[in-house]
Amino acid sequence: MLPALLVALFAAGVAPASAAMSRGFQRVLDAVVRIDVREVAFEAGTKRFASSIGSGVIFSADGLVLTNAHVVSPRAVEINVTLANLERVGATFVGWDHWTDLAVLRLDLAEMKRRGLKFTFAEFGDSDKLYAGQTVFAVGTPFGLSRTVTRGIISNNNRYFEDSHGVRGYETGTFNTWLQTDAAINPGNSGGPLVTEDGLVIGINARGYIGADNLGFAIPGNIAKKIAAGLVRDGAITRSYVGLMPGALQDLENFYALSTNTGLLINSVDVGSPAAKAGLRGGDIVLAIDGQKVDGRFPEQLPPIQNLIASRPVGAKLTFNLKRGAESRDLVVTTEKLESRVGEEWAFEKWGLSVRKVSRTYARENQLTDDTGLLVIGVQAGFPADMAGLSRGDVIVKINQQPIINLEVAKKLHAEFEAKPEATLVEARRNRSVSLYVLKP
Amino acid sequence: MMSRFLFVLWAGALSLRAAELPELWAERVKCVVAVQFYVETEIDRRDTVSYGTVIDNQGTIILPSVAANLRFAPDQLKDFKVFQPGDPASEPAEYLGVDPLTGWHFVRAGEKMRARLKPVTAFVGRADAAPIVAEEVWGIGLRNKEEDFLPYLLSARVSLLAELPQRTAIAQQEIAAPGLPVFNRTGEFIGLALSSFGQDFVQFSRNDRSGTPVMLVNVEESSAFLVASEVLPYLSRVPKNVFGRPLEWLGTYGLQPVDPEVAKFLKLENQSAAVVSEILEGSPAEKAGMKERDIIVAINGKTLPRFKPDRAVTIFIDREIDRRVPGDQVALTVLRDGQRVELTVTLVDAPKLAREVPRRYFERLGLTAREFVFSDAVVRRAKVAEQGGVIAHFVKPNGPAGTAGLQTDDWIKEIDGVEAKTFLEAVTRLAAIESDMTRSEFVLLVSRGGETSVLRVKLK
Repeated sequence: MLPALLVALFAAGVAPASAAMSRGFQRVLDAVVRIDVREVAFEAGTKRFASSIGSGVIFSADGLVLTNAHVVSPRAVEINVTLANLERVGATFVGWDHWTDLAVLRLDLAEMKRRGLKFTFAEFGDSDKLYAGQTVFAVGTPFGLSRTVTRGIISNNNRYFEDSHGVRGYETGTFNTWLQTDAAINPGNSGGPLVTEDGLVIGINARGYIGADNLGFAIPGNIAKKIAAGLVRDGAITRSYVGLMPGALQDLENFYALSTNTGLLINSVDVGSPAAKAGLRGGDIVLAIDGQKVDGRFPEQLPPIQNLIASRPVGAKLTFNLKRGAESRDLVVTTEKLESRVGEEWAFEKWGLSVRKVSRTYARENQLTDDTGLLVIGVQAGFPADMAGLSRGDVIVKINQQPIINLEVAKKLHAEFEAKPEATLVEARRNRSVSLYVLKP
Repeated sequence: MMSRFLFVLWAGALSLRAAELPELWAERVKCVVAVQFYVETEIDRRDTVSYGTVIDNQGTIILPSVAANLRFAPDQLKDFKVFQPGDPASEPAEYLGVDPLTGWHFVRAGEKMRARLKPVTAFVGRADAAPIVAEEVWGIGLRNKEEDFLPYLLSARVSLLAELPQRTAIAQQEIAAPGLPVFNRTGEFIGLALSSFGQDFVQFSRNDRSGTPVMLVNVEESSAFLVASEVLPYLSRVPKNVFGRPLEWLGTYGLQPVDPEVAKFLKLENQSAAVVSEILEGSPAEKAGMKERDIIVAINGKTLPRFKPDRAVTIFIDREIDRRVPGDQVALTVLRDGQRVELTVTLVDAPKLAREVPRRYFERLGLTAREFVFSDAVVRRAKVAEQGGVIAHFVKPNGPAGTAGLQTDDWIKEIDGVEAKTFLEAVTRLAAIESDMTRSEFVLLVSRGGETSVLRVKLK
């Protein structure tokens, strides 16, 4: 079953049926907003604008709004927020983090002041203290039904749910576990809060299984709080990368003759990664990182270990205490900056060509020699790229003999074509074959 | 003898020819056979039937390349039997091997049958006998085994001749079973039927009223055939061994045709060309100084002809290389950064192929380990220095290894945490695990798509 991303809008105004409607609960309902986004898309060889709707929750007195990264991304060109009092105001994008599926917006306070609008902000509860069986509420706009409150319980407070393409094709869930709830979460719920009976935000609703009954997932509030602070401070979350792919050790302890509750199995080491350079290999068992013992027997234990590595500063030297066969050894790994597989996108409209920069991660995953080149993600029918025979999946490595080491090189060549249209030679790779194409004006 | 005499006399008399077709038919049916054999895998035997053409008086038969998948080693092809059309009796036959240039599999029928066979070469007429458009041609189709491979007549007129890059005729409709000969109206051998070309159709149904494009391929009969001049010179290429060695090797990878627009841009007028995507490590191409992205424009000083479609050029180049033997020199002219560069490549014997190397099946583990060969390194982008381990040549469905997640073609690098450097090391270790009935599990480190993973194989 594919996990589905859900758009949740926790709308105010609907009181829970339970007798005790706390002030806190009313407050959180007043802090939930609807978010309308207009964003640019680069598919099919041209820039297009698309609209979408999501939810969010205001969490500070200065008008910061938390939502999902799959609701608002850096591609947003226009963001409008509808408050609980049905007033609509503009908002600006502050930052996003697809790894945790979170994004932060800022309400246009100047506009609100001018119009005399007021808002309420929600408070966080402690998501570490949640227990399975605890009653929680989700508020949102499932299938456009605004101000829908649903009730359920925490089904699991430590769910492993990694998805390499979960947020608009970006990786997610590697560094955090999720809250699982049976409060009904449907498409249209994303970005809204999961709250306790007294109205404290303990999660941001994000995903669910389509076709399953009441299997919804939320980012724990404590993680959301921390990520939001980082996004407000720096606009992005910087993480360290070493290039390990862990596997759950489950029942292999005996085979590796490990003492109980220790060890992280390395399934794979990315080619050319810091870990590979340091000499780590698939099949190694990590016993400790910088002296801190690790226990990765079960899948849900992996994200905290991944996060331990990721939260170290870029360029940090980490000592991995390893067990390989009977021997044990220490290897020092110097971290690099973590990069998504998905590179920057652009559309060269005169060529009718949409591209995505080949990232280091994409190059590694696809066994390319380096990160030179632009991946074709779309062509416009009848335009030069399409007529020449380029198609989705080709990687453009040279244009007019110039290696395309970054997007800027290609933008310059495209500008030259625009100014003076001339036949342009393109060299592209598909799988491992090199083909040549001529873009004709 | 009488019929042959008559045939010569009437060769030019169109109106009288129809009368003799039954006699031409009766003689020519003797040069076609059905060949049955089994492909033996670790867990089953697959019955295979292919149609072939007799090429000499020693009972040598050629089968089309599709008769046997080259993934299977020759020792997996068993119990060859030859049937004559319409006769339920069969005679055992020997598999001689595959020819790398033509792709034909060669089989030799047992002595008892030879006298009853007639080689197709007996029907070679004028040296320049070649089909022309609108000419009537005919051939033989064979029914299936239940019907004793009964022969039936197929005929049509030639509608098109093309260089693909071999000279190929396409008839208005099916004219022979793939692998069987095609004759002209006077009974001269004028070609050998190829696998049929796919035809595009749109399929409509109650649930799909807008139609779905489908391609249909007739596997029993074909309307395309190689003309005789593309067949006769190669009949002598009877393999010296089942692997078809010696096998020449150039060592380029991913030859891509240059499309006409690009050719024009590169000022390559009236010719085809091909880009070399990769140069393999340690290959003759590498030693000759060939670089990836070189564009081949001429072979031995001869400019490559212009092909329609342009992709035929890659087959042309492959065949130009394949027709040579190890030790031969080939002069290649390539275009590199706009400059013409002359290279001389000395071909060598190709590295061992997967079907040539040892493999071993471990029934209790549910896997066949095969020696790692050069081409395994190529497809996995591994350096020569990184070679080692074994390939999971076969994984038994639902067997212990399969249940643990092992897949066919996985590269097994470590067994029980110990690196398996050679095939011998790996099979020794696997054999020890297999024979140790107290073992309840073992661990493999396998590589797939550039990523490794640790698999735990439970035996109990």
